[in-house]
Amino acid sequence: MDMVFLSKYYKFFINGTGITLFLSLFGVIFGVIIGVFLALMKMSKKSFFSMIASAYIEIIRGTPLLVQLFIIYIGLPKVTGIPFTDLSIGIIAVSLNSAAYVAEIIRAGIQSIDKGQMEAARSLGMTHSMGMRLIIIPQAFKNILPALGNEFIVLVKESAIVSVIGIHDLMYNADTVRGISFKPFTPLFIAAIIYFIITFSLSKLVGILERRLRAGDSNI
Amino acid sequence: MIQISDLHKKFGELHVLKGINEHITQGEVVVIIGPSGSGKSTLLRCLNLLEHPTSGEIVFEGITITDQRNDINKLREKMGMVFQQFNLFPHKTVLENITLAPINVKNIKKDEAEKIAFKLLDRIGLRDKANSYPNQLSGGQKQRIAIARALAMSPDVMLFDEPTSALDPEMVGEVLDVMKELAGDGMTMVVVTHEMGFAKEVGTRVLFMDEGKVVEKGSPEEIFCNPKNPRTKDFLAKVL
Repeated sequence: MDMVFLSKYYKFFINGTGITLFLSLFGVIFGVIIGVFLALMKMSKKSFFSMIASAYIEIIRGTPLLVQLFIIYIGLPKVTGIPFTDLSIGIIAVSLNSAAYVAEIIRAGIQSIDKGQMEAARSLGMTHSMGMRLIIIPQAFKNILPALGNEFIVLVKESAIVSVIGIHDLMYNADTVRGISFKPFTPLFIAAIIYFIITFSLSKLVGILERRLRAGDSNI
Repeated sequence: MIQISDLHKKFGELHVLKGINEHITQGEVVVIIGPSGSGKSTLLRCLNLLEHPTSGEIVFEGITITDQRNDINKLREKMGMVFQQFNLFPHKTVLENITLAPINVKNIKKDEAEKIAFKLLDRIGLRDKANSYPNQLSGGQKQRIAIARALAMSPDVMLFDEPTSALDPEMVGEVLDVMKELAGDGMTMVVVTHEMGFAKEVGTRVLFMDEGKVVEKGSPEEIFCNPKNPRTKDFLAKVL
């Protein structure tokens, strides 16, 4: 890998990284929002809601993201009649997929909190939602942070799959550079380094946040 | 103050409470004793609907709490509860544990709630722990804080669910002292406990439960010195 190569093609990598970050960021945001709803549905006492959420989670987890992506890519514009851009298809597919995993992480986190906590909250006259908001979720959030961070890292890496529908993300652009430079190896190597820098920073960031949140209740 | 009529509770096939009738009046300290599995805790937890009775009626201060149309959250403000496992909120400081419900449920201003909290902390001798977190405290201290947390809502009745059962023996005394003081101030209390000494000394009335029924009730002297029911005799012979 020489400087001439980099100075010639660096724009491809920068643009690709931008798209990958953009896609991952929105994937995470929508994934968490949808995931929270799915988790609440799955924990609902009404079996109608919990069954829908369970079925959704099982289907998403039981089928490859690649298949889901193509189904949405071809199916969604057909069913709705709306000409979605490729990028929005990518975001939709990634967030719908991530939501299922996030939902399971959140559900496990909430259920890991001792039920005495909610009982204590209710015994003080709090409503169920107040107990959730003030007592359960803040404690659950601390517990699920590592798993959630891990899910975000997975999402950044898995987002490379959207290159197959022609989104110009980091993976796609690395492939493009391979084609026009006649170098089969170097672009992949650079892409790998960039992916690693993103995920490594992300995991450090989550670590810092985790330590900060734990500051309150250490000193046992 | 609390009127319980024909209260039944089933967990699936298991019939835990088999028709409880009881009247608890203002200022009483009712101590519920009995072997484990007799339904003592379930009865207590039915009083503030942490368990929903299968049938029967509970009337608290003239309001039928078993009637779904009545707002149970409003009623729970008037019924403090202390748990065996303390159930303090580990992510909140001692002070926040005590002020959380007054601020969020009763909409009391923060400084006002803290004033009340410090008064309670003085009373239980833990003012210096206000900014500690629960897991920095001993079991006895945790349970005293839990009592203060319940008292901060200024309830009309306090429910105690085996408050000393999870404590190391040397810490039982400090918690019982707080409870005795509370009884001395005229607080209405319903206490499920294995502390027979407390029942004798502080109880105004003792209920002995076995297999989902109140088998015998009376003053502490009657129950402890002259039990009539053979099952009460048998139980007391084992624990005293």
